[in-house]
Amino acid sequence: MIPAWILFAVIALVFWGITGITQKLATNGISSQLSFIWFAYSMIAISAVLMVIAPMHWHVRPLIFWLAVGGGTLNGLGALTCFVAMESGGKAAIVTALISLYPLLTVAFAVTVLHEHLTAGQGVGIVLAIVAAILLSMEPAAPPKLKS
Amino acid sequence: MTATAIESERPPLPTLAGIPRWLAYSLFTIVCWGAWGAVSKVASDGVDANTNQVFFTVGLLPLIIFAWRSQRAPGGPKRRSGIAWAFLTGILGGTGNMAFFHALGMGGKASVVVPATALYPLVTVVLAVAFLHERLGTVQKIGLVVALVAIYLLSMV
Repeated sequence: MIPAWILFAVIALVFWGITGITQKLATNGISSQLSFIWFAYSMIAISAVLMVIAPMHWHVRPLIFWLAVGGGTLNGLGALTCFVAMESGGKAAIVTALISLYPLLTVAFAVTVLHEHLTAGQGVGIVLAIVAAILLSMEPAAPPKLKS
Repeated sequence: MTATAIESERPPLPTLAGIPRWLAYSLFTIVCWGAWGAVSKVASDGVDANTNQVFFTVGLLPLIIFAWRSQRAPGGPKRRSGIAWAFLTGILGGTGNMAFFHALGMGGKASVVVPATALYPLVTVVLAVAFLHERLGTVQKIGLVVALVAIYLLSMV
């Protein structure tokens, strides 16, 4: 039987995958900074709705609170620095492929600090996932121009 | 004019701490997102996904001010649609976040969930081909196959 967490991981993958398209459509019309601002506004809207319809658990340990808040800052900061990298002369395909390496850092932390254990199959899967993310981020080469 | 001459006239890329600026910011992004995956696991073990998403949003607030101050051109004729797409991106991204927090909070290992969800370009590429009629390169086709194998292996428990 498939564990429930896999189902949620797939949901995250699908929703984040769709944002790859909507983000591109957004920045076709507005700057990356304005796109980020409206992205953040919608996060505020989601939070407002959640606070009305879902039970909130405010009484958490200060460490957990600050890690969760810091997570939002790290995620948003990463998005902004990714935009800056592309605007600083980095080719989108190279920047995106390079950034695809970020799970390596998480895996290193999880194994060394959180003492997570991986099966051999999962270890191979992690390597393949990172390779796949890099390959998927590479833009197809433009077709050669015909000489007139 | 030769290609070498053109190359030498190109202005040098801006640098930061001695390395190209784009590379420095790319590495900084890796650190930010890599650390985000790690702290999300610890946070998800201590708080439910919905509350975690609200706290996540609190962490975005100072960045809104920063982005507001640094934004340049207000946008052209596509401004309204651009804003609508950006807002939709946030809704989809936030929903994805909550699913991500659920996956971590339900026992998913950070070392497995983060690499698995980092395969989201798989979905982007398929949608780009289906709806934007973009061309799929050979490298991306190989990437699709490798991604599917990776997902299968990562789902083995």
